[in-house]
Amino acid sequence: MNDTGQQVDLVDGEIVVGIAGAALMAALTGVLAYLALPYPWSPEPITLQILGIFLVGVFLGAKWGGLSMVLYLVAGGVGAPVFAHGQAGIGHLFGSSAGYLFSFPIAVVVIGLLAYGHTGMGDPSSLSHSRLIGSLVAGAAIIYALGIVGLMVVLELSLVEALIGGAVVFFPGEAAKIAAAVAIAQSGHVVDWPPQGIGQ
Amino acid sequence: MLTYEPGTTVGHRLDARAKLGFQIAFAVAAFAHTTMSGMAVLSVLALAVLATARVSPLRALWSIRVPLVLLAFAPLLAAATLGPPWLDIGDGLVTALASYRVVLILLVSTAYVVTTAPRESRAAIQWAVPGRPGVVLGIGVSLIFRFLPVLQSDLRRIRDAIAARGGENASLRRRAELIGILGVSRTFRRANRLALAMQARCFSWNPTLPPLSATRLDVPVVALSSMLLLSPLL
Repeated sequence: MNDTGQQVDLVDGEIVVGIAGAALMAALTGVLAYLALPYPWSPEPITLQILGIFLVGVFLGAKWGGLSMVLYLVAGGVGAPVFAHGQAGIGHLFGSSAGYLFSFPIAVVVIGLLAYGHTGMGDPSSLSHSRLIGSLVAGAAIIYALGIVGLMVVLELSLVEALIGGAVVFFPGEAAKIAAAVAIAQSGHVVDWPPQGIGQ
Repeated sequence: MLTYEPGTTVGHRLDARAKLGFQIAFAVAAFAHTTMSGMAVLSVLALAVLATARVSPLRALWSIRVPLVLLAFAPLLAAATLGPPWLDIGDGLVTALASYRVVLILLVSTAYVVTTAPRESRAAIQWAVPGRPGVVLGIGVSLIFRFLPVLQSDLRRIRDAIAARGGENASLRRRAELIGILGVSRTFRRANRLALAMQARCFSWNPTLPPLSATRLDVPVVALSSMLLLSPLL
């Protein structure tokens, strides 16, 4: 062990809990992004990456969810295999999926703000059905809009071409993922989080 | 899928900060010089980078096969037109070059992934982002590396349990719902225990990190990165 002669500067309990939740939910998003489920309407198996993004927004709220997604991008950038299909590397932040990747933190913050009206965490099972669906649809719209813009910029495609290349490849199953995210949020079966209760 | 592999290649001996800076400089140069000659020069450079990390180009290409599908498909998409002449070769070529530069950028980043230990990356992140935000980023990234395999095995068990109960025949929505409820619950339980353990071990704002040390080996990398960064001005 190195003795650096410094005083230890402890981190507050609430922040420790927030960081642990944000990092582990980012890792869960990475695992879901690696998962490929066969889907009859899609030419290739779809991943649950976007479902992970929805869950981060709904369960962690704008502030900690936003941090979670920033951690996701940084970790993937330095080599954790968390991007879709287990991809990793800073190159993806400049590549064809860059628009989608950079949209994740923005989408999560928007989902959190629209669902709870503040930056903290809330109780997802207390939300009205329409408010929850509205916030998730807004999040999905941001992800696809920025994803398509990313394709246009990086691959120099026209809007129509980017729509065909981007949305058609990724879009199948999106409604199913939103429906699943709503069911998960309102199931009441998810462990309480944060441990000290809502109200941060 | 390539991940960090311990080794003693030139790529392994370089400083993580120099490697990160080089990748950004390479991407800037690739976007600035998307021409035939520019791509030729950068292709040679990308192959040299893979050689320093002893990663064969074929292995690197195989690791990025998923994004490659879209990158190969994009030029065809750009070339196709609705109505005569049906194929616009010029449009296709522009996108082909744009796709190719992304392939080069991805190849260079595989060299970083293979040669850089997560703890070195963490130290580089905290060097680049000083103060508390850097500590939060550093610890968060370390935790993601640490817990990714753990959560993967959690999810595998969840999927096995669903399959054992005939859940494989359920709709996509139902499967996603079950995976989500069980996955989030398990993740939160782990996060609870982790937060408690971190506090019990005096998790602090000023942890001791592995020392980063730039060596003479890094000088050419930094010089080359500077040249690439300045190349758009040429």
